[in-house]
Amino acid sequence: MKRFKQSLQKVMPLFISLSLLYTGNVSADVAVVVHPSNNSEFDETIIKKTFLGKSKSFSNGKSTILIGLSSTDDITQEFNRKVIGKSSSQVKAYWSKILFTGKGTPPQELDSSALVLQAVASNQDAIGYLDPSVVDDSVKVVATF
Amino acid sequence: MNKILFAISICMYFVSLGANAALQISGYGSLIAGKTFGTVNDPLSPGQKRDEILTADFYDVGQYDNDITIKAESILALQGTYKFNEKFSFTAQLVAKGVDDFEPEFDWYYLTYKAKDDLTFMFGRRNIPMYYFSEYSEVGYAYPWMRPPSNLYWWQVTQFDGINAMYNFDIGELSSTITAFYGNEYSNDNVEMLYYDRLYGGSAQTVNEFWTDILGMNWNISGDNFDLRFVYFQNDRDRETIQQDGSIDPYTPFSQSFVGFGGTIWLENFTFLFDMNYVEYDDDLGTEFPTYLASVVYNWGDVKPYIVYSKADHERSKVPTEALEEHYVLSVGVRYDIMSNIALKLQYDNFVDQGDEPTGWAYHGDAKAISFGIDFVF
Repeated sequence: MKRFKQSLQKVMPLFISLSLLYTGNVSADVAVVVHPSNNSEFDETIIKKTFLGKSKSFSNGKSTILIGLSSTDDITQEFNRKVIGKSSSQVKAYWSKILFTGKGTPPQELDSSALVLQAVASNQDAIGYLDPSVVDDSVKVVATF
Repeated sequence: MNKILFAISICMYFVSLGANAALQISGYGSLIAGKTFGTVNDPLSPGQKRDEILTADFYDVGQYDNDITIKAESILALQGTYKFNEKFSFTAQLVAKGVDDFEPEFDWYYLTYKAKDDLTFMFGRRNIPMYYFSEYSEVGYAYPWMRPPSNLYWWQVTQFDGINAMYNFDIGELSSTITAFYGNEYSNDNVEMLYYDRLYGGSAQTVNEFWTDILGMNWNISGDNFDLRFVYFQNDRDRETIQQDGSIDPYTPFSQSFVGFGGTIWLENFTFLFDMNYVEYDDDLGTEFPTYLASVVYNWGDVKPYIVYSKADHERSKVPTEALEEHYVLSVGVRYDIMSNIALKLQYDNFVDQGDEPTGWAYHGDAKAISFGIDFVF
């Protein structure tokens, strides 16, 4: 036990300094968008349940298609913190349970907000989150956080 | 070796299909090194010393002794899901484990039929949804510890071929899922049972373990800050211990029932995890196994120190005796989320065998072990 304590004392400062490197994120706003033809109801709870895979269809009855950004993207981290209420690692752990037991599919991870915009604009059942600065008429904003 | 080449060629085939949007490839893995430190009096050979042994994986008999190893519980898994259309998909998991010298095997394969958004059927080979963490017990990234406490996840059968029917519905603000399942498992050449045969001086050729008519349900309820799960199932049990001369040991089949209640609660920076389970046989002894675990994790940003206590007991209601198997594991550790899909873990385990030595039930022996691991998903 003593040897373990000593090794923990050696390792902890390394862990802490590494963690500081990774938590210095810049705050960014997030917009949640759907196809302009989607007249379903949205509020924060619905959006949260949708992006956790707990609500699998919109209020219009159509199945949801989830579009997101890479888990290391600042926008994703902001969305997870503000809407889901968990860190990106916690959200990844949550989805890995579901994915590897075949009970659902996590949001598709695209490389940029421009690609999310394109994906949502071209699919009537898609819902995505992105950087509000790229939004145009091709999608409908249902919430910003 | 041919198996490995075969597996690699299948992977390459999957990857070559990867450009196809209908096929999704993902995976998970854990690279874990560990060892025990001391020696104990061998509980089954009084007077003799042996290394402390910590069984990290009972089903595959993945163990740590005084020599550091990465084979006890390291694992790499590749999952492919092919979506035929909106309703049907097929999923397979190719899993390579250190205990099998990393020879890959298809551990999971099932067809999914999404009848409606809230009703899904799965046909094929999957893990039995026994304990709270059973279905994803090998996805290290999905839970805080190095492993779900191994002295509870000790059954010689963890998978089955069968049907799962999953129904989702809301109860007010809460989300709920009910899953019914039915299936069978004919576990020929059962690794864990053969290990016990050898441990007690046997020389059986092989042991075949049969769990049939596995019938049960899970009920899961989750809200913003909690996730709770209730499980009940029952099944028939039988076993063939085949000796070198081909003779089969006599065995009396019986039925067992499994009931459990577990969950996760998030409160501020703390995560509380628990699971309570009770297994009962309808045998002449009235065999019972009450087990539970309790754990607290402190979420200090990406650094998550934790403590977990797990206790397993073996009782007989019809022939009361205290002198049976009993043990607990107290583990402390820390998980560090180095990236959003990679976690480092360091864990110290103290396994205390409280079983009865004279009757041979203290067969694990005490063990203190340390392990270091990297978990990832992709």
